[in-house]
Amino acid sequence: MVAAIAVQSVRYNYGDHVAVDDLSLNVENGEFFAILGPNGAGKTTLLNMLMTVTRPRGGQITVMGHDVVTQTEAVRRALGVVFQDPALDDRLTAAENLEIHAVLYALPKAGRREAVRSALEWAQLEQAGSKPVRSFSGGMKRRLELARALMHKPSVLLLDEPTIGLDPQGRRHLWERIGSLRAQGMTVLMTTHNLSEAEACDRVGIIDRGKLVAIGAPAELIAATPEASSLEDVFIAITGKQLFDDSASGRDRLLSFAKQGGEFTQ
Amino acid sequence: MNALGLNPGVVGIMWKREMLRYGRDRSQIFGAISRTILWLVILGFGLGAALREIEGYSYAQYILPGVITLNVLFSSLQCAISLVWDREVGLLRSVIVSPAPMLSVTLGKLFGGATIATIQGAIPLLFIPVLGVRVSPQTIVGALAIMFVMGVAITAFGIIVASRLKTFEGFGAISNGIIQPLYFLSGSIFPLRGVIGGVGFLDIPAHLRDELRQLGIFAIGGGWVVQLPVFIQVLVYMNPVSYQLDLLRYVLLDFQQLPLWADFAVTFGLAPVLAVGAAASVKTMLDKRR
Repeated sequence: MVAAIAVQSVRYNYGDHVAVDDLSLNVENGEFFAILGPNGAGKTTLLNMLMTVTRPRGGQITVMGHDVVTQTEAVRRALGVVFQDPALDDRLTAAENLEIHAVLYALPKAGRREAVRSALEWAQLEQAGSKPVRSFSGGMKRRLELARALMHKPSVLLLDEPTIGLDPQGRRHLWERIGSLRAQGMTVLMTTHNLSEAEACDRVGIIDRGKLVAIGAPAELIAATPEASSLEDVFIAITGKQLFDDSASGRDRLLSFAKQGGEFTQ
Repeated sequence: MNALGLNPGVVGIMWKREMLRYGRDRSQIFGAISRTILWLVILGFGLGAALREIEGYSYAQYILPGVITLNVLFSSLQCAISLVWDREVGLLRSVIVSPAPMLSVTLGKLFGGATIATIQGAIPLLFIPVLGVRVSPQTIVGALAIMFVMGVAITAFGIIVASRLKTFEGFGAISNGIIQPLYFLSGSIFPLRGVIGGVGFLDIPAHLRDELRQLGIFAIGGGWVVQLPVFIQVLVYMNPVSYQLDLLRYVLLDFQQLPLWADFAVTFGLAPVLAVGAAASVKTMLDKRR
């Protein structure tokens, strides 16, 4: 059987900086896979290549058997994506955000209203459906985004740091939701910094400086590393203790601008 | 790649999105009303007390098309510049990973920006009774059509600019760097040529007025002949907004200062050219990150 996600000797560089270096990994159908790695290790670049936003400079990636370069549209339909920071229109209501998604993914016109309603229900946001997203808490936004990502019934879910910024209740709720999706056979690929969460995954892959440095079930990795009692020990043993500092990108500056009031400051 | 493709549903929903955003942003509507009052009523009647008339029109009447243009410039560029924001931290990120064709997404934004520009541009028209301009329903329809075409052109221009901006932390630079030069150098608030009547001036002798009329310059009262410095003339003639504004003034006041054929050519020729440019810029912007 073809793997849900197959990455073969993929390479990507920004100028001289090699972000992803001859990386190969497979995520099997129905698997719950976590990608770990320090900041700047190449996780985001890998995710961008998976979601067809960035084109690999070498190697091949397929999602549900579709090539990310030549069969972009099929790959996009097969994927449900939840970004690290909310990708919602703050001035629109939850229902309006979902409606846009339904049209972008060409859900049948007759079923759109129902699809929006059931997505709101799934996210437990029926009461807040007609409120602008600006008034939502971080947890509500995340639930809304997860519900949105599932509207077009994707086969693979990509989650970039899904629990970052959530309170323990929000985290637990999200976790239960992801659990129920796994039970239905959904393939889930997520990146995370939270290593205790990663221990709940079927398999994890650790990326460092663009290379896959370890892959396997959490228990196997812990057993294979001397003196390791948790995934965190494995992670530190493999990637070292040095800090990874990046300078702020244009996006980071926009994000901090957003916190001051953003586009509403004129 | 999915960059080419027309999907009316996608165009429609992206248009609707812009309209919903506009409807919930009271500051934008407030801005249009306050600009109109400041420029048309306060400057128009204030400066109009000194400049009694421009070729037979009161100063407030003369700047009416200019104030409409100012509103169109503001709303179109505001809509277009939100692209930077949207691309980095907004909904557009999820649009980019969807199977929807980007051309349709861009067109939706373009038509959304143009529709908002038309609504914002129509606000000064509400002051027509105060200004004493006589207009027919056809005139209003014509003016709205020109505003829409201008809106397409300027939103497209804004998208071309926005697609090249890495970050965006305030509208001030756009306002001072793009909107105001385009506005001031378009013949919006001072005429390109003609006779301006000022306070305390002697009437023009009848024979001189006839001579001027033969040259295509109409003067009712007394006044002086405007002669702009050459560098301003050059800038005004180079500014495409001058022609769009001139056409608007022709439709609203039956008065124009530039050749009519040039007005039509620039107004209706520029919009599709810039729209294609905007679509290409969005494609380049996305390709660059690939």
